Amino acid sequence: MGVVTRKKLFSIIALGAMVVALLLPIVMALPSPATGEEAPAAEGAQKEGEKVEKARDVYYKTEGIVVGAPAPKTTDGPADYPRYNFESRVLLWFANQQHLYYGSFVLAVPIFCMIIEFMGVVTKDKALAKRYDQLAYDFIKISLTAYSLTAILGGILIFTFLTLYPTFFSYLSSIFRPVMHIYALMFVAESGTLYIYYYGWDKMKEGFLKWIHLSMSVILNVIGTLLMFLANSWIGFMMSPAGVDEQGRYLGNIWHVIHTALWNPLNLHRILGNMAFGGGVVAAYAAYKFLAAKTDEERAHYDWMGYIAMALGVAFLIPLPFAGYWLMREVYAYRQQMGITLMGGLLAWLFIIQATMIGILFLSTNYYLWQAMGRMRGAEKYQRYIKYLVFLLACGFMVFITPHTMVMTPAELKAMGGQQHPVLGNYGVMSAKNGGINVIITTTVLSFVWYMRGNKISTVSWARFGNIFMGVFFACAYINIIFLAIYGYYIPANVRVGLSVPQVATTLSCLFFMFTLNSMMMKGAKQLGPIEWGKISARSQYALIMLATAFTWMMGLMGYIRSSVRLFWHVNEIMRDNSPWAYTHTVGFAANVISANVLFFWISILFVFWLGSLTAKKAPVEAKVGVPGAIPQPAGSH
Amino acid sequence: MGWMAIAILVGLLVYFQVAISDPAAKKRAVFKTFIGIVSTFLLFVAIANYKTNFYGESRLLPVSLVMITATSFIMALYFTNLSALLKIGGFMFFVAAFLSGYGNWLPQVEGGFPPVEEKLDFSSMTPQQLADEGEKIIFGGIGKNKEQGAIGKGQCPLCHAFHAGMLGERAPNLLGLVNRSKERLEDPKYSKGNPAKRDYAVKEAFPGSGTAENAQEYIAESHACPSCYVVEGYGVKGTNDRESPMPAIHKPPISLSLPELAAVDAWMYVREGLEPPSFEEMIKSYEKFIPEGERPQLQEDKPAGEATSLMADGSEPVDQIFAKAQCVACHTIPGIPGAVGTIGPKLEEGTTAAQRIKAPDYKGTAKSPAEYIMESIVDPSAYVVKPFPDNTMPKIFGQKLSAGALKKMVDYLSQVKAGAPPPKIS
Repeated sequence: MGVVTRKKLFSIIALGAMVVALLLPIVMALPSPATGEEAPAAEGAQKEGEKVEKARDVYYKTEGIVVGAPAPKTTDGPADYPRYNFESRVLLWFANQQHLYYGSFVLAVPIFCMIIEFMGVVTKDKALAKRYDQLAYDFIKISLTAYSLTAILGGILIFTFLTLYPTFFSYLSSIFRPVMHIYALMFVAESGTLYIYYYGWDKMKEGFLKWIHLSMSVILNVIGTLLMFLANSWIGFMMSPAGVDEQGRYLGNIWHVIHTALWNPLNLHRILGNMAFGGGVVAAYAAYKFLAAKTDEERAHYDWMGYIAMALGVAFLIPLPFAGYWLMREVYAYRQQMGITLMGGLLAWLFIIQATMIGILFLSTNYYLWQAMGRMRGAEKYQRYIKYLVFLLACGFMVFITPHTMVMTPAELKAMGGQQHPVLGNYGVMSAKNGGINVIITTTVLSFVWYMRGNKISTVSWARFGNIFMGVFFACAYINIIFLAIYGYYIPANVRVGLSVPQVATTLSCLFFMFTLNSMMMKGAKQLGPIEWGKISARSQYALIMLATAFTWMMGLMGYIRSSVRLFWHVNEIMRDNSPWAYTHTVGFAANVISANVLFFWISILFVFWLGSLTAKKAPVEAKVGVPGAIPQPAGSH
Repeated sequence: MGWMAIAILVGLLVYFQVAISDPAAKKRAVFKTFIGIVSTFLLFVAIANYKTNFYGESRLLPVSLVMITATSFIMALYFTNLSALLKIGGFMFFVAAFLSGYGNWLPQVEGGFPPVEEKLDFSSMTPQQLADEGEKIIFGGIGKNKEQGAIGKGQCPLCHAFHAGMLGERAPNLLGLVNRSKERLEDPKYSKGNPAKRDYAVKEAFPGSGTAENAQEYIAESHACPSCYVVEGYGVKGTNDRESPMPAIHKPPISLSLPELAAVDAWMYVREGLEPPSFEEMIKSYEKFIPEGERPQLQEDKPAGEATSLMADGSEPVDQIFAKAQCVACHTIPGIPGAVGTIGPKLEEGTTAAQRIKAPDYKGTAKSPAEYIMESIVDPSAYVVKPFPDNTMPKIFGQKLSAGALKKMVDYLSQVKAGAPPPKIS
């Protein structure tokens, strides 16, 4: 008993330490805006003779006292742009992208852990609870090695910045000086929390202690998310500066600098993106372990792990397009030209690639689910309908990637007779494309519903009515989406933009109502047979790897688009890029660099996985002592 | 490096022949090493291909990635221990190759450099000359106004249409602007002479500026303060047409100077067969709505050497780059007009570069012709062609030419072959 109390005491202290670690930077942050706003005023009062210069915020339009120096006007030369015999921008691109990949991964995985650990705590099935717990532990183990790599890559990124863009970097850090130390402290807090969380796993396994452990994961994620928000404020500032005047002079209000026009949509988009990406990476890890597995038990465990990771990833993938839509709307609201450069101008082809990628992601997800039905007895009844889903997906995909306005060379324009293709140009309008993607998402929802009821027969009294209702609901959803997509051709452009709202609403209601209804119907359902984990085709695992690679590639692509929309500005409209690289690369070049980045990331992360497998081999295998008849236990242990 | 790897494998092959006595094991070992040799060969061919073509426009580049994929899968078949890793790697390579190929297959558009300000004296131009400059600012060139997608520094056609029936849903069509301006002034919502009554996000361009009194002033006000009056249906969504999405044209990112704005206006008059007001009048109309501190200056206040410290920024055709960098004074370059110099070697790098890398006295670091050409431009002393003397060619080109310009030069020179017709100038 005494031991338990001591343990409790220690864990409460640890939790308290984490809360302090979290609060410390925030408390330290509080005086910063104050010093920004008040201190100069006080100073101004002291030196009454001196003139206090006031200027107007470029975004908030508020008046503030000038406290910073104007943005430097750079010239091409070794002082502002020192370089090696290589394009500095590409070097920075590489360093940034790698840091970002690892950063997103280590931020996303603890969120997964939190969710899975929570599922483990609340689930009543003891064997399942243990499996969830083991899975969460496996996840955090992977992220731990990646965590140190993230820090190293962050260091490399700063060095790259300092070496290749010293003037620009010193300007940015002068603007963000009031929060720089907070960023550093948050990082320390994140590391501390992560280590306590990881190493405390075994000590805090049961009862009350487990809840403390779970609370730690919440704190860990709050810190991680705040850290990401701070990092996002830099890019938000570069794209849509605020808190400075027209010359780029800091006006003393750090909150304005952080809270720029695009900060919030970027934050949301990045959280969802990180989660989808993290799910992809973990699913790829599981696929790798599955393909390399020697025993059925291992195969069963990693099959299950891959499924959970994929499901979590896709759960965040589905709202991602909507978050992207919000971001784009804010971009248009901030600067219309910026939006047009993105969607209908210089960078429009990249969005065609993006559309293709989104299509690939959903197709792979569906393919995986159909393969996964193979491991359930009873799911055969759905197999024959899959071909119709393929047809729906293919049609949706083709409509979705049809371009509308295109950017071309004069010769190409002449050959085509305008910016729009004589035939295709009439089809690729937004409402139809929205129809395409909504059909794809709805079909994915349908695949999920089929998967969830694959080996079950509903026993509720209203099962028949429920089934008919679901069928009618889906049919109406498809009809509504497709009708609106076609109707869009008959109304003016500014009106049809509004059609996206009912289309999205239809898809979302399918998502929420059908999932809820389905799980209600499947409560206490009769099982036709257990899910035979591990008895899935190897092809399905390649679908997971495809998903992961596509996520990575798409992240690289979208990051490139987001960054290059600034064109020849370091900080949009404030600090001009006068380096020899102030032009935008061709689509092909960008695609090559993205591929190189993606491959480098995967080679390095496969190395991390391999390192992880070394520690797993050393640990004793306790898996064999599972409850008889229970679902196979994982081979790896801790 | 590739040869070394293959040599080691061949060594192993021989070693297995000798060392393994069990015939079955021997056969297996030999077979595996053989496959290894094939794969290594493919792999290095692919790497070499990838490296040489990284900067090139070659659309075959992704083929090398497919070769790597094939290599990985072949190896996965025979090295069962690493099978999963190799297959996954191969598959990922394939996905990346596909996407890279897709990106290269799409039309290639390169975003140009930021517009370089030319120092023009707008004040002494005839109305037609001024209008021509205006057309350049709007559309990027004279006579381009009917071309879909033509766009100049002013970026106007991004949102506005200029001819009847042309695309432009985001902003009013500007056909007939001058005459319509007079009507707009009479619109009660415009509240001519009484800005305080206006129901818009901004009431005046700056305190005390007042409202426009004539058509020219209306145009000037629209440029300087788009939210002072918003045409119905074209406001920012959700503001009930109280706020315009258009940026102030004299401010970043567009930052047209007052004379440039006058040139734009001149084109709007001239193209409709109207006589534009005098240059001074147009400038005055802008001065009414743009306070002195906000007026962008031409050239003078730009940082010294901005965009001009470069000899060439890469936006020029390649023959001009050679001319601007003075290459033509010393070198003969087939296909480049005026390049008949004899102080340096004749540049037929499509033929000579590869030979020079292989020359026994070559001490540079280039591995491919493209790298050799780049090295010769930025570090001329790395290898000096006999019998020409060293230290004659300046060593400043790495700093004085943009990456885009260097790339164009390398691309061109690598296509010049002895005895073949010169390549096209791009």
